[in-house]
Amino acid sequence: MQRDLASFSLSPAIRVKLVSAGFQTAEDLMEVKPCELSREVGISREEALETLQIIRRDCLTHKPKYAGTSESGKKYTALELLEQEHTQGFIITFCSALDNILGGGIPLMKTTEICGVPGVGKTQLCLQLAVDVQIPECFGGVAGEAVFIDTEGSFMVDRVVDLATACIQHLHLIAGTDKEEEHQKALEDFTLENILSHIYYFRCHDYTELLAQVYLLPDFLSDHSKVRLVIIDSIAFPFRHDLDDLSLRTRLLNGLAQQMISLANNHRLAVILTNQMTTKIDKNQALLVPALGESWGHAATIRLIFHWEQKQRCAVLYKSPSQKESTILFQITPQGFRDAVATAASSQTIDSLNFRKRSREPEEES
Amino acid sequence: MGVLRAGLCPGLTEEVVQLLRGRRIRTVVDLAGADLEQVAQQCGLSYKALVALRRVLLAQFSAFPLNGADLYEELKTSTAILSTGIASLDKLLDAGLYTGELTEIVGAPGSGKTQVCLCVAANVAHSLQQNVLYIDSNGGMTASRLLQLLQARTQDEEKQAEALQRIQVVHAFDIFQMLDVLQDLRGTVVQQVTNHLTRDRSSGRLKPALGRSWSFVPSTRIFLDVTDGARASGSGSQRTACLTKSPRQPTGVQEVVDIGTLGTAEQSPVLQGEQT
Repeated sequence: MQRDLASFSLSPAIRVKLVSAGFQTAEDLMEVKPCELSREVGISREEALETLQIIRRDCLTHKPKYAGTSESGKKYTALELLEQEHTQGFIITFCSALDNILGGGIPLMKTTEICGVPGVGKTQLCLQLAVDVQIPECFGGVAGEAVFIDTEGSFMVDRVVDLATACIQHLHLIAGTDKEEEHQKALEDFTLENILSHIYYFRCHDYTELLAQVYLLPDFLSDHSKVRLVIIDSIAFPFRHDLDDLSLRTRLLNGLAQQMISLANNHRLAVILTNQMTTKIDKNQALLVPALGESWGHAATIRLIFHWEQKQRCAVLYKSPSQKESTILFQITPQGFRDAVATAASSQTIDSLNFRKRSREPEEES
Repeated sequence: MGVLRAGLCPGLTEEVVQLLRGRRIRTVVDLAGADLEQVAQQCGLSYKALVALRRVLLAQFSAFPLNGADLYEELKTSTAILSTGIASLDKLLDAGLYTGELTEIVGAPGSGKTQVCLCVAANVAHSLQQNVLYIDSNGGMTASRLLQLLQARTQDEEKQAEALQRIQVVHAFDIFQMLDVLQDLRGTVVQQVTNHLTRDRSSGRLKPALGRSWSFVPSTRIFLDVTDGARASGSGSQRTACLTKSPRQPTGVQEVVDIGTLGTAEQSPVLQGEQT
């Protein structure tokens, strides 16, 4: 088993000592006893024992290191995955057009990124989803709780109260027409206090706090196993200010992206990240593109870009592994995130590539 | 390579190992490069014994030479070419993916890399009836899309289920997990990887990620890009695949791939690029 020692997750200090003692591959360490190893290499007995466990366990038994809590590293057949996907629900957004292009709603076990210019409705969608994730299963929801990590300070509780009240009313209407037992029972628990108490709110002021919060998230999620949604609003803000070292930024962001998809997979939840837009000068043309660079574009599994189209809000599904690229219209009402009402303006052709900032009135254009 | 241990080969006793270690000769490499006369004098071992020891160890640890004709015969019998299921891509790859080789697909976000991987997996599992290992590191593996691709190839539900069972999926979100998974997988298999696109700091042009030293590893490289004007004109699922590195085909050739209708009967038109 000629596997290089550098490919195991050993601490750098131990690795250096092993290499200087002449051990290069896993094969060299297979027959060594812990006391011999600690004597030869100059590390303590416990460290030698740990090192041998890591190397032997991976080579011989192929078990994941964090067995029991993690699901990564286990093999599934595609058929099993398909069954899992069918039983898993989606988090609906209350905008049927958006749910349609996403294939039913925001999918669990994937990371979704929402990019958009200021004021187009990213935080509104996040607040709506924090309420919608709690819809009981008999109404087509996932009956989960939400974690909201706020870095911009844009979380308004009064707005969440409005959205929750509208959601409760909507569900009462449905239950009223159906008159089923379980609907009535489920609605008893779906009150304003319950909704608000199941949104766990964290405020992070800079990127260090954000990284620390994400690092502590797995423990939090193990204690609160009903969480089905983690929202970070926004992930761009702490990384675009006071961070001059761009290579450090890329490394931190990539690490964060990996942790997020890991969380989404291990705890069966959906992760939503909000991103800002920046201007790119390309061939003497100024285009609006999502911020945080080219490599960040690969981090999320699904990417939605919101923009304005002559006073209409549009959503483009830019990247998805299972749905086609499409564009839809939506609007923000006092009740929350909803479908756009068809007006004369919306029937004009939608130019999905022409991202401009909020459009001006015709008279203002020079 | 090869720490010296008692019993590694006849003639290497514990006493000899300790004596050699005292002269700072710990591995086979150290012994192979040492001045044996000097070592014999300093350790008090016989020169002939050390020479014999070195010969045995070198024979044990060196690679076995193979002549070109044998290698060719072996390759002829053991290499298989797996079709990707997309006609234009097969044309680019000289009939398909070769076993024993690494093919890399590079592209911007949303350019269709995961779609090509899913299509290849569906094709190999269904048409070629082979097993597939799909290592997912960013959550792009959606079994329902795989089912859609299979449904375009066959209506028989049993065959679809069989094909799905031949595809094994592993989620490796951590580099160490991925290395563990890859360790299990040694031997003659085809390997297809996807790579991200990043921007070159000095020239501002887009280039594949992971740097120049990685670019030597895959034997074939395909660059996927959105066809100019495709998004605006409504045929938003057109992609241009350009062959940027290949051991067999001329580079610079381009083909159009439609990721919306992957693997179905529609054929896409062929574009010929200039040779770079």
